[in-house]
Amino acid sequence: MSVLVEARGLTKVYGGRRKQATRAAENVSFACAAGEVFGLLGPNGAGKTTTLRMLSTVISPTSGTAVIAGHDVVREPDRVRASIGFLSGNTGLYPRLSPREVLRYFGRLYGMDDALIRARTAELATLLDMADFLDKRCDRLSSGMKQKVNVARTVLHDPPVLILDEPTVGLDILTSRTIVEFVKDCRRQGKCVIFSTHIMGEVSRLCDRLAIVHHGHVQFIGTLDELRARTGEDLEQAFITVLERPA
Amino acid sequence: MSPIWVIARKEFMDVLRDRRTLVFMLLLPIVVMPLAMIAFTRVTKNQLLAKESRRLTVAIDKQGQGLIRAMGQQWWGDNLLHLMTLGGRLMLSLGEMDLDDLEHIVDRVNTYKDAGESTHFGDTALAAGWVAYQNFTDDEKQLLDDAGAVHAVLSRTEWRDIEKLTHGPDVRLPPGVRQPRDLPPGLDSPAVIAAIVGEAKALHAALYVPVNVFDRLEEQSVSVPITILYDSSQSLSREAYDRFSAFVGALAHSQIDVNLRKAELSPGFVQPFLLKSANVASESRKAQAIIGSILPYLIILFCFFGAFYPSLDLTAGEKERFTLETLLLAPVSRLEIAAGKFMVVFAAAITAAVLSTTSMALTLTHGVLPEDTARALHLEFQPLAIALTASLLLPVAALFSALLLGIALLARSFKEAQSYATPLQLLVIIPAIAALLPDLETDLTLAWVPLMNVSLLMKELLKGNYLWDFYAITLSTTVVLTCIVLWLTGLLFRRESVLLRS
Repeated sequence: MSVLVEARGLTKVYGGRRKQATRAAENVSFACAAGEVFGLLGPNGAGKTTTLRMLSTVISPTSGTAVIAGHDVVREPDRVRASIGFLSGNTGLYPRLSPREVLRYFGRLYGMDDALIRARTAELATLLDMADFLDKRCDRLSSGMKQKVNVARTVLHDPPVLILDEPTVGLDILTSRTIVEFVKDCRRQGKCVIFSTHIMGEVSRLCDRLAIVHHGHVQFIGTLDELRARTGEDLEQAFITVLERPA
Repeated sequence: MSPIWVIARKEFMDVLRDRRTLVFMLLLPIVVMPLAMIAFTRVTKNQLLAKESRRLTVAIDKQGQGLIRAMGQQWWGDNLLHLMTLGGRLMLSLGEMDLDDLEHIVDRVNTYKDAGESTHFGDTALAAGWVAYQNFTDDEKQLLDDAGAVHAVLSRTEWRDIEKLTHGPDVRLPPGVRQPRDLPPGLDSPAVIAAIVGEAKALHAALYVPVNVFDRLEEQSVSVPITILYDSSQSLSREAYDRFSAFVGALAHSQIDVNLRKAELSPGFVQPFLLKSANVASESRKAQAIIGSILPYLIILFCFFGAFYPSLDLTAGEKERFTLETLLLAPVSRLEIAAGKFMVVFAAAITAAVLSTTSMALTLTHGVLPEDTARALHLEFQPLAIALTASLLLPVAALFSALLLGIALLARSFKEAQSYATPLQLLVIIPAIAALLPDLETDLTLAWVPLMNVSLLMKELLKGNYLWDFYAITLSTTVVLTCIVLWLTGLLFRRESVLLRS
């Protein structure tokens, strides 16, 4: 399997010299291959979102870099963005636009022609069950509907890499299930999925490998079995043990 | 399609669905401001008419009342013949009107007819009279004004016996009211002063006329004092002062004529010098100068308001809605995002400025100015003046758009952006007011003051004065300033600490 995402010593320091600097991520390194779902686990403030934002080029690393689908996040941010689909709690939808208009807008920004955008919109509307609300304004949609539109926006340009930052937070069980199924589907298609979550059930159902991040440092990288083997406990307890007793 | 254009197209669609933007860009300049202006003018006009036609209560002793009447009647007696001549000339002018005037009067009559009023003849006569009035000499116009002043006092004064007030119970002066010195009998009474300044406003003024006024006029030794007691802080009391001031002025004009005739002296005896003025400004030019000074202020102000909401909505509003980060994930550069947003805000600023200026100019000429003035006013700004004004509007709109985008981008939320951007309004309004100041000349040093130079120059351009050196400095300073602000805003769009501040 080819490696699609490779983080090399990603470090992010906020505050610089003026204030007391905050090291949100420190020397984060991992790799993720095509057809693999890679989980990023950690408590609030551990540095997961910072790491994912660096991968998505929304923020630039203070040091270190990452290569995504052959492109460097520091030197070729535009190409990296064209190769990824990113979804997080901070990626909102335009409330005064309909889902169809949102998809058309992002499709054009990704350089897709209108015919392709229409075809992909129809395809995703069926896949994510969005046909009923495709032409309603986004501010009139439920949070579940909005998240479906966001997912559609994320994969509209069919990127090889998906970065999903807690995509099921605040969603009802049915929508969460749709998202989980969707991630599985992406894996089947050979996409590389980096997935951060708090929910252990999702980790055990989805992740092939995972990294546990705490205080900006990677504390563990490996498969679920390796994690359980290391602590001899169930997943939740193993997670807590790693946080308390890093290797 | 270029990413900048894709972003601009979407932002256009987005802001046009935003009610606040629509209100500031379209509704406010096209509908609300003209309506407010018309309503304000109507209310002011009606209030003025009501004030002028109101009967005012004035206290005076019984003899004084008789003397005022007698003086007024004597004025009519002395001037009736002259007035009748003027009236005759006004009537005669009916037959002397040229075709344009006649058309104007017919239009006017028809307007009244449409409104269901049937004063055709009176109205025609009035309009014809207005035409003739333009040809009267200053003295003749003064005589007509004097006739109005005498008529106002004789017919619209409610006289009250001052003695009834002075013989009433003792009254103490309200706090903050001073007792003027050397007042004639009656006017020095605290009860009279209290009635003028009091809450009840029982009196608008009190008057004293010396009993022997006619004898003293005959003597011609010293001027005869007529004293008025009034409260300048009250509008109706001021109106009473104005009326009696005009009345005494009318009596004086008439008495001077009588005295000169008696002494067989010419008018040069009392008026050795006379300033003869000839104003080369036509009615149209005068009105154009007034409108020309209001327009720059409106252009600048509405240009700013047009940019205000879209700039806040497309930056701080996007942060608040978490859509800015979504956009940052698209494979476009941050400068392209800034450029796309800038295009929309810039277009909104230009649209608001153009629409508001046009609608205000139309409102002034078709709804606010008196019909005669509006008719005399031909808003024919020269194409060169319009082109040069537009050449100044473009950098100003760009400056406002870049400035507001940059400032709003610093904010975390729409509300915070409002609190940053609102004080900017003062920075814009104060220099823009420059054009409204009638005595502020276009000194070349002012050409270096941003926005004030634009405001002053637009005023001169609309008057048809092409100050090329002033224009060169103004345009270059504005363009340089705009470039600096654009560059700074561009820098802000590349700073992730600013873009992602939440």
